[in-house]
Amino acid sequence: MEGGGTRRPGGVGAELTRRGFLKRTSLLGLGAMVASALPVAKLMAAPPPALADVALSDATLQAFADTVIPGRRVAATESSAAIDPAAIAGVDPLPGAVEADALALYHHPEVGFDALEGPFLAELASRSLPHGGDFLRLPFDARVSVVLGGLDFANPTRLLWEAAAAVPFTAFCAAALVPEQTADKAVGYRVMGLPGKAPTGYRDFSYRRALARERTRGGSLS
Amino acid sequence: MAERADVCIVGSGFGGSITAFRLAELYVAAGTDPRSIVVLERGRRYRHVDFAQSMDIDHLSRVYNLIQGQGAQVVVANAVGGGSNLYLAASLRSPRETFERRDRRPGDGPDRRMWPSAISRDVLDPYYYRAELGLRVRRPTWNQVSKSGGLWAATLNAAGHSCDRVPLAISPERCVNAKWCHTGCVFGAKNSLITNYLAAAERRGVQVRPDMEVESLQQSSARPYRFIVNAQAMDNEGPSPSRQPTGSTVQIECKVCVLASGAMGDAPILMRSQNNLPNLSSELGKHLGVNGDHIAAIEYDEARVRSALGLPGYHEFYKGKPITTMSYDWWVGRSDHAYDGTRFTLQEIFLSSLTNFLYDSGREPGGGPSWWGLQKKQAIARWANRIELLAQVEDTNDGTFYAVPSSGGAQRPNSGPVTIGLFTYPLSDQSIRVREAANEAMRGVAQTHGLGRFMALTEARGAYAAHPLGGCRMADGPDLGVVDPQGAVHGYEGLYCIDGSIIPTSLGVNPSLTIAAVSERCADALVAAGGGLGLPARPAGFRPGIPEEIVGERVVVPVPPDQAAPKRKPKKKPRCRPPKRRSRPARGRTRARKRARVRCRKPARRRRRPPKKGRGRA
Repeated sequence: MEGGGTRRPGGVGAELTRRGFLKRTSLLGLGAMVASALPVAKLMAAPPPALADVALSDATLQAFADTVIPGRRVAATESSAAIDPAAIAGVDPLPGAVEADALALYHHPEVGFDALEGPFLAELASRSLPHGGDFLRLPFDARVSVVLGGLDFANPTRLLWEAAAAVPFTAFCAAALVPEQTADKAVGYRVMGLPGKAPTGYRDFSYRRALARERTRGGSLS
Repeated sequence: MAERADVCIVGSGFGGSITAFRLAELYVAAGTDPRSIVVLERGRRYRHVDFAQSMDIDHLSRVYNLIQGQGAQVVVANAVGGGSNLYLAASLRSPRETFERRDRRPGDGPDRRMWPSAISRDVLDPYYYRAELGLRVRRPTWNQVSKSGGLWAATLNAAGHSCDRVPLAISPERCVNAKWCHTGCVFGAKNSLITNYLAAAERRGVQVRPDMEVESLQQSSARPYRFIVNAQAMDNEGPSPSRQPTGSTVQIECKVCVLASGAMGDAPILMRSQNNLPNLSSELGKHLGVNGDHIAAIEYDEARVRSALGLPGYHEFYKGKPITTMSYDWWVGRSDHAYDGTRFTLQEIFLSSLTNFLYDSGREPGGGPSWWGLQKKQAIARWANRIELLAQVEDTNDGTFYAVPSSGGAQRPNSGPVTIGLFTYPLSDQSIRVREAANEAMRGVAQTHGLGRFMALTEARGAYAAHPLGGCRMADGPDLGVVDPQGAVHGYEGLYCIDGSIIPTSLGVNPSLTIAAVSERCADALVAAGGGLGLPARPAGFRPGIPEEIVGERVVVPVPPDQAAPKRKPKKKPRCRPPKRRSRPARGRTRARKRARVRCRKPARRRRRPPKKGRGRA
C-alpha cells in the first residue's frame, strides 16, 4: 500500500509547527524551542525603549508565566526572589509558575531566552494595547486573550510565544532549578502530587494481581 | 601518523557494544589480544552512581542531547553506553508483520518488502533470544507491574481488550520501583550496556575511549588496513564543559570500521566522507523515521477507578517501573498487506513529569486555551491520577538529511545540549491517518465507563522522537539502501553500519531489542567474515556466549527498620479463574465490579486462550 502525498512544511511555517512544542517532553526541548525561535526573533523589530526597564520586563515575564500556569498570590518565589505585586492575577489557589521561579529560568544561560526577550516583550506589548494597555496591568481574562492571539497558528511569530510558554512549564513541572528534587523544595511537584526523588523507591507500587487477559506467552507477538 | 587498530567502532550504544563484545569473544577464542578493538564514544563515561534522580537542568544537560530538526525533535543520549543509559528498558520482539511490510512511499523504488529479503522474524528470532540473554530480559510478574500499568490493563479489560505485560531489561532484584529510569538508573537495576555487553567487552581488553567524536572516514591504501577514521577530542569533562571539540585530533587506521553512532550519527559521518567514499548509495541520509511514536495521556476519575474497576484508588503515577503493560489488539488480525500502515500498539509509559505540556487538558476549552492556562493548571494538579500512553504506529520514514554540519551530527550553537539538526521530517498522510486512528482508539478506551479524560497530543504535525531510525537503511542492493542485510556498506569492504540507522521501518514496539537482535546478526556475520578481512579467523567450535553482568556497587539506601514494611503472612493462593472476555460494554456497576475482581489468575502457561481477533498469536 502506498501512502498519500507528503505534507511538506516550509520556511517559517516549518519552524512554527505547534508540535515544535514537543520538546516539552524533555527539558532540553525548551532550549531547542528557544534555539528555533532565534531566527524569528531576529526578524522582529527592536523593543521599545520602555521595555529596557529591567524591573518592568521581569514583571511582565512573570505575568506571562502566571497566565500560562496560574498560581496563588505570593510576594516571593520559592527561592525567595521578589515577585512584582501586579504579576500574579491570583486566579488559582495553588502555587503557580511564578512561585516556581519561572523568571530565573527565563534568564538561565542554558535556556538562552535572553536573546528572545526583547522581541517577545515588544510583541506582547503591542498585542496588549487593544486590550487596555500594559500586559502587566491587564486582568487575567484579557491576558489570556493576548496570549491566545500570540499562540494562534496564524501568528507567524508563534514559535517565539511557544518558547516563552515552555519556560514556565519547565520551571514548574520539571523543577528545573531545584537540584535536590523533593516535593518540599519543588513547589510544582507539590502541586502535581509528585514526591520527587525516591532514594529507597516504593513498596506499594503494584496492585499485585492480574488485571487483564493476555494475548501472548512471553510479552511479544510471535 | 595514524594510530593503527584492527577494528574501530564508532559509538557505544547497542550496535557498538554488541559488536565490540562479539569481536572480543572472537579475539579471545583465537588467542589474539582484543586491545586492537577500539570503541570511540563522543560522550562522557558514567557509572550508574553518577546519574541522578533529577530533572535539574544541569543534570539533564550532561546526559541528553536534543537535536532540533525541521518537523521533528530527536532526543539522544550522550554517554558511554549510548541510549541504554536513559531508555525505559522495554525489550520487545517486533511482530512478524513488521518485516513483511510493503507500504513504500511514492518514488521509493519498486513494489517490494521494505526489509531485505534475508530478514524476517523467523530469521531474527535466534538473535532476539541471544540479545534477551545478554540484556537479561525478564517479563515482570503481575506483582511487579506498576499501578499505572495495572490501571491501563484494567481499563483495557473493562473495554473488552487484552493487555500484556512487557518484558523488561531490568533486574527485579535491584529495582526499587522509583520510576526514575529516564534520568539514568542510580541503582544499577536497569540492564544498560555499561552493565553487560560493553563492560564485558572492556573486561576482555577492548579499548573504550570516551570524549572522542568521529567526523569522517577516508580510505587507506595500506592493506590490510582499509580506512582512516578522523576523530576529535571533545571537551565534556569538568564542572563547566564547553561540549565542543577541543581542537585535538586523532586518526585511527583500521582494517574494519563499524559505524554505530545511531540514526543521528552515521549518516552525517558518511555524508562528510563522500569525497573519499564516492560510491556510497544515493539513499544515504534518507528514510529517517521516528518508530511511529505518538503520545497521549488519560486522567482518571479516582472514584470511577474504585467503582468501575474495583481497584483501591490510584494517584500513584510516580511509582513502579516506567513501562509495564501494553495491548496488541489494534495490531493482531491485520495480517494482510492490505493493512500495512494501519496497525499500532498501545503501551502505558512514564516519560517524565515535564510531559505535562505535551497534552491538552482533557477539558472542554470553550474558546479558552487547551494546553495552558487555568484548565491546564487544574489538570496538572491532578497529574498523579494520570497515565501516559505511547502508541507505536506503522508510519512511513520520510526524513532526510539535507546537509551536514562541519562536525558532529548537528550544529552546536553553544555549550548547551541543544543542537540544530540539518534534516527535514515531514509527516505523510499515512503517518497522520494512523496516528489519528490511534487517538480514537485511546479515546474510546479512556471513556469506557467514564473512567477518565483523554488528553490528546496537542498538535498533529511534526514529531518528537526518542527512537530515531534510518538514514543508512539496509536493503538488498545499493539502489535501495546503504548497507546489506549484514550491515556491510554496499561497495566498501570492511565498512559497516550496525545500529538503528539501518532499520528500514518503524517497528510497532520499542526498538532497542530489535536493534540489538539485528546487531547480533550483523556481528555474527562480521565474526564469520573476520578471517577474510584481516581479523582472526573464527576458530572451529566457536560459539557466542552471554556477556557477564558487571554492575558494581548498589546504591539504594537501606530502609531503616522502623520504616520497613512488616512481613506479610503468605496468603492462601487464590483460586484462579481467567478473566472473561466480553464483547459489549458493561451495563452497570455490579457487573463491572465482578469482572474486575476475578483477575487473579497466574496466567503464564496455565491456560492458553485463543486470541480474540484474527489469527492466533501465542
